[in-house]
Amino acid sequence: MREAHPGLPDFDYVRPASLEEASRFLAENPQSARPFMGGTDTFVRLRDGFWKETRYLVDVKNLDGRAEITFDPRNGLTVGAAVNMNQVVADPQVRAHYPLLAQAAHRVASYQLRTRATLIGNLCNASPAGDTLGACLLFGGILRVHGVEGFRDQPLAGFFQGPGRTALQPGDIATSIRFPLPVPGSVGHYEKLGRNVLSDLAIVGVTALGHPDSSTASGHRFHLALASVGPVPVILRDLLTQAPLTPEALDEAAGRAMEACHPIDDVRGSARYRKFMVRNLSRRALNRVWEGLQSGHCCE
Amino acid sequence: MDTVETTTPRPHQESAAPRPVGESVTRLDAHEKVTGEALFADDLQFGPNMLYARIKRSPHPHARILKIDASRALALPGVKTVVTGQSTPGFIGLYLKDRHIFCTDRARFVGDPVAGVAATTEEIAEKALDLIDVEYEVLPPVLDPEEGVRPDAELLHPELGSYEVANFIFPQPGTNIPNLFKIRKGDVDKALSEAAAVVHHSFRVPHVQHVPIEPHVAIAKVDERGRVTLWGSSQSPFAQRNLIASALGISQADLEVVAPYVGGGFGCKAGVSMEALAVAIAMQVRGRPVKLRLTREEEFYTTFVRQGLVAHFTMACDAEGNLTAMDNKFFWDGGAYAEYGVNMTRGAGYSSSGPYDVPNVRTDSYCVYTNHPVGGPMRGFGQPEMQCGLEQCINRLALEIGMDPMEFRRRNCVKEGSNLVTGMKMHATGIGECLEKAAEAIGWGHKDPPSAPHKRRGKGIAAMWKAPAMSPNAGSSAWIEMSEDGKCTLGLGGQEIGQGTFTVMAQMAAAALGIPYDWVRIASPVDTKYSPYEWQTVASRLTWSMGNAVVAATKDARRQILELVARSWEETPEDLDIVNGNVISAKSGRSSSLKGLVVYGLARPGDQGWIGGPILGRGSFMPTYVTGLDPETGQGERAVVHYTTGAQAIEIEVDLETGRVEVLRGASAFDMGKAINPDLVRVQMEGGLVQGISTALFESLQLQDGVVRNPSFVDYRIATSADAPRDMQSIIVEVPQDDGPFGARGVGEHSMVPTMPAIANAIHDALGIHPGAPPFTAEKVYLAMVDAGLVK
Amino acid sequence: MAHHRISVTVNGSVESVDVPSNMTLLTMLREKLGLTGTKNGCTAGECGACTVFLNDEPVNSCLVLAVECDGAEVRTVESLARKGKLDPVQQSVIDHNAVQCGFCTPGVLISARALLDRNPDPSEEEIRDALVGNLCRCTGYVRILDAVKDAAQVGAASETGGSR
Ligand SMILES: Cc1cc2nc3c(=O)[nH]c(=O)nc-3n(C[C@H](O)[C@H](O)[C@H](O)COP(=O)(O)OP(=O)(O)OC[C@H]3O[C@@H](n4cnc5c(N)ncnc54)[C@H](O)[C@@H]3O)c2cc1C
Ligand code: FES
Ligand code: FES
Repeated sequence: MREAHPGLPDFDYVRPASLEEASRFLAENPQSARPFMGGTDTFVRLRDGFWKETRYLVDVKNLDGRAEITFDPRNGLTVGAAVNMNQVVADPQVRAHYPLLAQAAHRVASYQLRTRATLIGNLCNASPAGDTLGACLLFGGILRVHGVEGFRDQPLAGFFQGPGRTALQPGDIATSIRFPLPVPGSVGHYEKLGRNVLSDLAIVGVTALGHPDSSTASGHRFHLALASVGPVPVILRDLLTQAPLTPEALDEAAGRAMEACHPIDDVRGSARYRKFMVRNLSRRALNRVWEGLQSGHCCE
Repeated sequence: MDTVETTTPRPHQESAAPRPVGESVTRLDAHEKVTGEALFADDLQFGPNMLYARIKRSPHPHARILKIDASRALALPGVKTVVTGQSTPGFIGLYLKDRHIFCTDRARFVGDPVAGVAATTEEIAEKALDLIDVEYEVLPPVLDPEEGVRPDAELLHPELGSYEVANFIFPQPGTNIPNLFKIRKGDVDKALSEAAAVVHHSFRVPHVQHVPIEPHVAIAKVDERGRVTLWGSSQSPFAQRNLIASALGISQADLEVVAPYVGGGFGCKAGVSMEALAVAIAMQVRGRPVKLRLTREEEFYTTFVRQGLVAHFTMACDAEGNLTAMDNKFFWDGGAYAEYGVNMTRGAGYSSSGPYDVPNVRTDSYCVYTNHPVGGPMRGFGQPEMQCGLEQCINRLALEIGMDPMEFRRRNCVKEGSNLVTGMKMHATGIGECLEKAAEAIGWGHKDPPSAPHKRRGKGIAAMWKAPAMSPNAGSSAWIEMSEDGKCTLGLGGQEIGQGTFTVMAQMAAAALGIPYDWVRIASPVDTKYSPYEWQTVASRLTWSMGNAVVAATKDARRQILELVARSWEETPEDLDIVNGNVISAKSGRSSSLKGLVVYGLARPGDQGWIGGPILGRGSFMPTYVTGLDPETGQGERAVVHYTTGAQAIEIEVDLETGRVEVLRGASAFDMGKAINPDLVRVQMEGGLVQGISTALFESLQLQDGVVRNPSFVDYRIATSADAPRDMQSIIVEVPQDDGPFGARGVGEHSMVPTMPAIANAIHDALGIHPGAPPFTAEKVYLAMVDAGLVK
Repeated sequence: MAHHRISVTVNGSVESVDVPSNMTLLTMLREKLGLTGTKNGCTAGECGACTVFLNDEPVNSCLVLAVECDGAEVRTVESLARKGKLDPVQQSVIDHNAVQCGFCTPGVLISARALLDRNPDPSEEEIRDALVGNLCRCTGYVRILDAVKDAAQVGAASETGGSR
């Protein structure tokens, strides 16, 4: 039985003056200090009685240069760690070049929650149900991380290690995420199935991305990322490269997604249902992407 | 001004109701609720002297408590007291006193209060809980009501035979059955053997929660002499006064309950749930207010739940489609204590034919103790759960003999004079009209194409009835007091829980007195020390029962005013009337404002002294005609005060790829006798429909080994703004109630009674699959389609 | 546990408040400043009863630390009516009978006002989306949706704009 507290348990709020100070503090207190951005995951976990050893919450969102979204036609998009989900949803550059990211961010919780929730927080929290993990993975996101040794780049590939577990080490602070330019003509789509029409966590989430590719027989390449059907996002790359691209081929690719995942039963849904939904929603998402590719403009 | 009205001061007996009855005036409480000024219990301020309480709860569904050691908790700085069952040995309960405030020797559900702490902050109180050591001997639990009735089942209340009980509840000592209600009408076996069609189906309706957005909160203070004040979010200030005072062995007169606005109740704030805990703790720290507020999680697993139900129906009709027999068995999952739930069992029994005229009925309705959360009243009081299966069976029976389900219902529904299951004669009712209008509103009989190739559409209908399930002599009272300028304050004890009762009472008072609506104020918050008695704000009974008391009080004031003026004018009261706040005479044409005279009386001519005095009207109402029912047959003269009837028709679309059911439109038609405020009635119907949709599609308290697996909004989902159907039609049918104020009867709960079966019937219409028990989640519907071979 | 003295502008007035690290903005408003219009329905970001403006954007005040609000500007339901004149969305909620128990109402009003501030002419879908974090158990929502839609029209007609 989960016994939630009426309020938040004791901790000290710490607001370092610099990244160096923050990383040092976190590294020196590996068990008891945690960084946070919006805190939407952090506070809820603490209140629910998890992370009992936490003594310090380290606010890392007010350090310089974390609150911006920048786009550069050569290097792609950079989203600062303190950028909240609503900013991601509304940003003209994101909408123009990475609409899939805006679509996925929009599906997180509610407007007021998205004022606090950050993209970086969603990634570092590493929940299998995280809505933006798929889009960030398929766009080849690379985290900029500041650790005790200074800055480094941390690709998202290999970043997720289990529910709530990532490649980050004590002292590591993600400061931004960069997405290289998408392959020209890319089209993405996110299908989320919750119990309610909106605002619920995903029972199943399917992110699909497709783009033209002259090296394949089909002239295209498709990728899928599946949420809530394994401890980490399930990725299927390079689908539908064979010709011809028929509805049957899309069905078959959706079937592969179904085979590739190994969900569990939980309060939100059974493994059996989830498997069916991975197939059906993958089919739906792939079709939407395919329609978008044919019509020549990126759909949401 | 001309008098066009009658000269007798009985305006409410006019066929056209006097203004503002029947008008959709603005809610009295709306302004303060949009500005944030409206006070709810947690908003009241008590100063730095206040202590905070938290409750140590049983982690086991069933266990003997061997030892409680609070010494470590008491040593924590800031902790002022730790209370256990030792200091509250008395029993508490509305219909059956089977519950202690704190557990004494046993804990009977996960969440059962074992000890309570008061400390200077909520955090310290919370920390102290971990320092209370409780030793348990875990006992085998009963987790299913059908298991619980077996002779070899673990006995949860061996003392059942000794509990104090209301005379219409029939506990079975030596079993887990705190109430068994039976109906024996006609010859069911014979009718079944002669029937043209018989259906038999079983349903397992899960537990659900009320989910008011305001969690329970109570603040208690006990003075040095042991007199208690309790502030709380409460639907039942007077019942709480009575039950808590008796449990503690103090006088009702020494317990004052103050009840500000309630942030949603739906039944869970009726009776006593957690309030007595605050009082018991405050007893130990005299002079200091003690606040206890439940977390949302506690709200889910420790307060009253809508009890689960296992129901078996057998139903038969003849070749013409006349219902001939019903054979019902209900097993209610009453939970750990059945102090309130026992009456749901009874209500389901005496309504077990549904709103139909059935000559032969046999019903066994069992309330069963289990080690689940405590069953309590929830909007509909057992009827949504019971009629969920019943109305699906009616549909199946109709289809079985090839009759349109709507036609079948219209043919069989109760009419004035019908001989009901209990032998009571049905009063005039508009159920036929409700069925027709609801069906028509969604284009019954016409199938629209789905909005997409991967969707299927369907329409479903369900009828309903429900009587106020209450003590037969549940009473109401009211007073009305005038201020110098003729405006008035209405004293009442029923609670404003969102349903708009203050507004409706003010409308009735204004109409019955003859003053403008905006001259009426409500004496709120309800305070048992100053407010007149009201049994409880439950059972959709206020408009009818409290309304009668308010009209009586107002008539009393009116009589006093007219007698006074008549004396002064040397006329007879029969020739006078009050119109728009002025006393006028039909005979002499004289007119006078109420100003002054309602407080100071009137001067005799020539400075010869005064007549009259402050006007104070009083009124009370209690039904005196409800009779007992035979324990073996359930037969009696008059089982209930009245039945409110109605119907809902719903159109849905099912997504074949996900199983998700979307409600496209829903039409509700109910017969509330007279809509005192039509728009308030409509918003009740809308809110009830969406709550019904929410329980039909999303909600169930997932119990595993007695543990609630989804005690939070994260996993107990309710309908959001994105789930509500745009197209909701609310149809008012008015067949007057003979003893209702202006002909009114209640309609608050009814709109969520038929929703689950109407949706189930629509799903069947769309897919040809009977979805059975709710919730009809996307998963359940999808897997049913897979199993039926409809999708792969 | 550490305490912090913060300076925060609440409904236009600058407040200096002493807050422990773990105190939420919601608790500070209700229990330190006595602004009880903002409600607590879950303490977990799910129900929206605690929604307030933080630097002109709506947030769940139960998921913001008070100490994080040092130097910030907070507006609550108590600030919506100006000099006795209701905000158009408050008036519209009354006119549409979109309030019953009223416990969700303060949060609903903030979300609605925030929506109209950023989008003066929202579609029904946009209104539903903006209010999805404000649970209401009483009304069935449709009256609330209508109230917001109408308030947008009133706002457009009278050019009163936002509440800033
Ligand atoms: C009511 C509610 C509904 C929600 N609904 C959804 C939903 O629909 N979909 C969804 O995907 N999520 C949902 N969430 C989860 C949550 O809102 C998101 O994961 C959000 O993006 C987290 O961002 P944050 O900034 O609030 O994270 P925080 O709570 O600040 O941090 C989350 C985790 O990341 C770590 N972290 C944060 N910042 C850094 C950093 N810079 N460097 C290293 N580690 C860091 C923290 O230590 C913590 O472990 C919901 C949460 C709530 C409370
Ligand atoms: S109290 Fe903050 S969202 Fe419920
Ligand atoms: S009006 Fe009661 S919760 Fe919305």
